[in-house]
Amino acid sequence: MDTGEQGETSKAPLSKGVSRGVSMLDLILRVIAVVCTLASAIAMGTTNETLPLFTPFIQFKARYSDLPALTFFVVANSVVSAYLILSLPLSVAHIIRSGAECSRLVLIIFDAAMLALVTSASSGATSIVYLAHKGNVRANWLAICQQLDSFCERISGSLAGSFVAMVLLILLILLSAIALARRQTE
Amino acid sequence: MSTSEAATVIPVYDVAPGQGAPSKAPAAAPSAPPAAAPAAAATTAPRKFPMPFFQRSDRGSRCMAFLDFLLRIAAFGPALAAAIATGTSDETLSVFTEFFQFRARFDDFPAFLFLMVASAIAAGYLLLSLPFSAVVVLRPQTTVLRLLLLVCDTIMLGLLTAAGAAAAAIVDLAHSGNERANWVPICMQFHGFCRRTSGAVVASFLSVFIFVLLVILAAFSIRKR
Repeated sequence: MDTGEQGETSKAPLSKGVSRGVSMLDLILRVIAVVCTLASAIAMGTTNETLPLFTPFIQFKARYSDLPALTFFVVANSVVSAYLILSLPLSVAHIIRSGAECSRLVLIIFDAAMLALVTSASSGATSIVYLAHKGNVRANWLAICQQLDSFCERISGSLAGSFVAMVLLILLILLSAIALARRQTE
Repeated sequence: MSTSEAATVIPVYDVAPGQGAPSKAPAAAPSAPPAAAPAAAATTAPRKFPMPFFQRSDRGSRCMAFLDFLLRIAAFGPALAAAIATGTSDETLSVFTEFFQFRARFDDFPAFLFLMVASAIAAGYLLLSLPFSAVVVLRPQTTVLRLLLLVCDTIMLGLLTAAGAAAAAIVDLAHSGNERANWVPICMQFHGFCRRTSGAVVASFLSVFIFVLLVILAAFSIRKR
């Protein structure tokens, strides 16, 4: 019995340190994800390009709201960044008190929902951006990037932050699950 | 070790060396030594089950593991249907003009190709994870397996959502076109192709919803365990 109890008390500070490390990593990843989604939303939302040419066939003013997939991208990234900002206090609370189970569960549930949202938004926007770059021969869809250079660059670049946020959300779910599992085996 | 009360049930749990007394034994006799705590859980309720697996204390987590198993089977159907529906979409029109191509296949659109591949991968993963889920039902105390399934489910969720959303963007474009970019809605001509791919997108989103339920259920069952 004595050795068992000694073993437990010598393990307790180490496992507490690991839980605290997990919670801190969670907080850091959340902050990075906030920055990424916010940057993507702003980069896509401030697109506005007008070409100084005149032709009756092609419109020469491009904004993100002309393509519904890009509108969805801006809205979804704003929602996800707002959620992540709101979940930062909860993450800080986990560092201070690593004993909370219910809040970690709530965090996992909402993280999973936000993962689905941000993945679908970034993927839909990628599909449209790819079409804008390459066009489609079969459907006779022209590549609009030929004319609208800076618009195209801006919308292509803003996808990167969203994909990084998606990977970070997967890692956040994994971290919360590990923290939950460690609670059970302590 | 004291095998008290002439118990006929021999515990078959593997007690790992680092694992202390499980705190979930419901009516654990306080006199039971910690190394034989699973035996205590078995002997406090003196039922003589033929299989010593099925303990009352496991009922909740076993229920959830079984629900997980059922959800996996439920998600396999739509994923496979999406893959097959996209893969067999091929329509040739019987009209002739100089400007239009008249054959639409799924590999003319990279998004549909991605949808087919990702749905097939998800369906294959669900099939392969069925044995693991069955093992979790039979041995509810494995946390590592549950964690592994949760990680893989999350990755598959991301993949399938990405594929479904990309195809949905193309399908929406095919239905309504875009005036600004001068993109013509092709669904006017290719009815069957459009219907089939739209149905595939809907099926893949149904599968995504079930995946979300699977992730949430895995989180619940890790917590309860």
